[in-house]
Amino acid sequence: MTRNAVPLVLTALLLPAAAAFVIGVVPPLRRSGRVAAWFSIACMAGAFVSAILGWAALDGATPVHVVWPWLPSANGPFATVGIFADAQSTTMLLLVTLVALLVQIYSTTYLHDEPSPALGRYYALQSLFAFSMMGVVLAPNLLQLFICWELVGVCSCLLIGYWYTKPEAARAALKAFWMTKLGDVGLLIGIVLLHRATGTFDLLELRAMAAAGGIPIDGLALITFCLYMGAAGKSAQFPLHVWLPDAMEGPTPVSALIHAATMVTAGVYLLARTDWLFALTPGVLAIVAWNGAFTALLAAILACVQTDIKRVLAYSTVSQLGYMMAAIGAGVAGAGFLHLLTHGVFKALLFLGAGAVIHAVHSNEITDMGGLAKKMPQTAIVFLVGTLSLAGVPLFAGFASKEEVLGAVWHGGFTVPFAMLLFAAFLTAFYMFRVVFLAFFGTKGHEGGEGHEGAHAHDAPLLMTGPLWVLALLAVTIGIYFTVNEPWHEFEAPHWLTYVAVTVALSGILLAYLTYQRRAISADALAAAFAPIRTAARRNFWLDDVFLGIYRGVLLTFARLVGWIDRYLVDGVLNVVSAWTLDAGDRLRRIQTGKVQDYVWAVGLGLLALMAWIGVAW
Amino acid sequence: MTLEVIAFWAFAILLVGAGLAVVLGKNLFHAVLWLALALVSTAGIFLTLDAEFIAAVQVLLYAGGVITVVVFAIVVTERLVGEKLSQTNRRIGAGAIVSLGLLALLVRAIAQANVSLPRPPLTAGLTQQIGTSLLTRYVLSFELLAVLLVVGLLGASYFARPEE
Amino acid sequence: MGLQAYLTLAAVVFCLGLFGTVTRRNTIGILLGIELMLNAVNINLVAFSRFHGGDAGMVFTLFAICITVAEVALGLAIVILLFRLRRTASADHVDWLKG
Repeated sequence: MTRNAVPLVLTALLLPAAAAFVIGVVPPLRRSGRVAAWFSIACMAGAFVSAILGWAALDGATPVHVVWPWLPSANGPFATVGIFADAQSTTMLLLVTLVALLVQIYSTTYLHDEPSPALGRYYALQSLFAFSMMGVVLAPNLLQLFICWELVGVCSCLLIGYWYTKPEAARAALKAFWMTKLGDVGLLIGIVLLHRATGTFDLLELRAMAAAGGIPIDGLALITFCLYMGAAGKSAQFPLHVWLPDAMEGPTPVSALIHAATMVTAGVYLLARTDWLFALTPGVLAIVAWNGAFTALLAAILACVQTDIKRVLAYSTVSQLGYMMAAIGAGVAGAGFLHLLTHGVFKALLFLGAGAVIHAVHSNEITDMGGLAKKMPQTAIVFLVGTLSLAGVPLFAGFASKEEVLGAVWHGGFTVPFAMLLFAAFLTAFYMFRVVFLAFFGTKGHEGGEGHEGAHAHDAPLLMTGPLWVLALLAVTIGIYFTVNEPWHEFEAPHWLTYVAVTVALSGILLAYLTYQRRAISADALAAAFAPIRTAARRNFWLDDVFLGIYRGVLLTFARLVGWIDRYLVDGVLNVVSAWTLDAGDRLRRIQTGKVQDYVWAVGLGLLALMAWIGVAW
Repeated sequence: MTLEVIAFWAFAILLVGAGLAVVLGKNLFHAVLWLALALVSTAGIFLTLDAEFIAAVQVLLYAGGVITVVVFAIVVTERLVGEKLSQTNRRIGAGAIVSLGLLALLVRAIAQANVSLPRPPLTAGLTQQIGTSLLTRYVLSFELLAVLLVVGLLGASYFARPEE
Repeated sequence: MGLQAYLTLAAVVFCLGLFGTVTRRNTIGILLGIELMLNAVNINLVAFSRFHGGDAGMVFTLFAICITVAEVALGLAIVILLFRLRRTASADHVDWLKG
């Protein structure tokens, strides 16, 4: 059956590319807005269907590795392009195409009052993004992965800066681009060093070499660390996580697609793909695990003090990415990958739900919301489903994968990271239900804000609620499936793990209920108890200031130095030469005295010189 | 010591001496007169070269015509200013260097050249020969020369016409 | 006297004339220098003509003398004109083409 997997997977990969190309190259189509939108959605639907069929065709069979030669070299092609479809990549392909399709459908309503040319641009970028993400997922070698990786970054930047006339959006787009670029430098260095050590980019060949012990261990830690740097940039690990909250300046569907389900998971996916390489360097894996757990905790703390609903979700994404990385660092990439899949579903759900709320209330602030459950029942239900998944409550999607992650970290012997992750789980439940209680229950404006008139708040149109229901049903289905059939794991989890995990989640929910719904505990007193942490969290632990300081201190100083050299040394030399030329000209001018006798004298002198030179009378 | 040698040396010394006076003299009018002497000495040199016709032409045209014209010019310019035009020289050093250098080179070149020719025997009727050549072989140049003189005459009279 | 004597004489007179042309302040003085130079050339021509036979050199000298006469006339006309316009007979004052 693998024979017809190849054209299916290729169709899935290339349909969005064709859509992007056509919309980009045919100006009337792009300017038409809605037509471009439905064209892109049609191509995306085709891609989704192909992805499903391809996944089914491949089920259980041997992986497919099809490449075409690209860059020539003396013995065999230097680089190839193609696809490598195995169970992992086709599953990821399903996630990418599904979320992309739902987001594109959702966007038609969410962005319905955008000018048509801008809408055309949006859909061109969406299609291009889908293609590049799938390129990363299906890449058979590191070079193609890197190219598609960069393309993903570009699309992300352009989509975050979709409303580019807003200065904050433009800044956020550039910040995202440069932060991930910082990581990408490491990725490129890692790829080049790996090629130098092994002579190939191809993943299958590398895996075979690793299994046979053919990869030199010397310097391998540096290589894997460099690869991790690239992943850390894209997957928002500390300290390169600062771009993700700011990236919320983009439209909410973009956040749902890119900063929840697909692009940010590219780093996790890369590490999961190359876990056999990282297994050779346990030191780097330990760093991955510790940093992942730390990021999870840090982001959870930061999420507790946010009032913008999208920022809460952004920090939550950072936190969950930390979970995934911690699992991979513990050596169980499967657990991280499982959490990636479930997280993709329920985080996209949460973002799209938040988008519906924002669309209704015309504001991102939680303080402008309140009592929305009565006015927007459908949205409230799906949002609650997503929140329960995120908190890790049984019967919902996130429960099993979170437990897998915790089990993996415990099994790997990382006790402190385990504790950090557990505490982060508690905080996750707490801050998510804080949002739920403040936005959907209770009365409006309780924390002191004046918001909009809630009279406009109502459930969104079908094209927006449809995707929401799809994702919610998917989350519940996955949750029930995994609660009933425990996922196969490679390790023995301690029997008390499930109970601890569920207790932690429920106690977080309880605390949120008591503080924000019943008002039994005063929110201010709670905050005052942790006053220094709260202050630091409000300032994002001064990380942005550190980066700004480095930029000003290092980069600008260097730029000034180079500018000085250019003005005074390079230009200076030129100016001196020119001044000397002018001066010499002024002096030589005086030869022309205007007096005829001097000219005759000069002729005589010339004659003398000529005769002497040709040797007359010598 | 033949007559020819004495004659040559006599005329040569006169020529060079007069030439020195022409270029170094303070008084312009005196310089012109010394030029006249130089020109006549040149005619004498021509005589030692058996070129009687050229000597005659030299005296007639040069010593007669040119000197006269120059004297007139001096008188005209002197009168306009109303004072004796005195001469001082400028940049003597530079001029001397070039002239003496050139002289040195030329003399050495002549000394090293292989030109020790004896005089060919004198043929009679040189003047007649010149006359015939002028009207046969060089007739075109001769006519053009006439045209040139007319043009020069016209030009000079136009230049120096009285002011209106 | 051999040819070389005449050539040397001509060289001396020529250099005298050159010196005069370069150093004299008065424009007419410059013309006198030019006269000497032309004179020296004529001596050269006649001497060569005598020692090679034939009359070509003499005819050339004839022409040279006539043309010199015309040139002197014109030169003096220019000197007079210059004098009328600028009230100067000094060549040092004629420097309006200086760079």
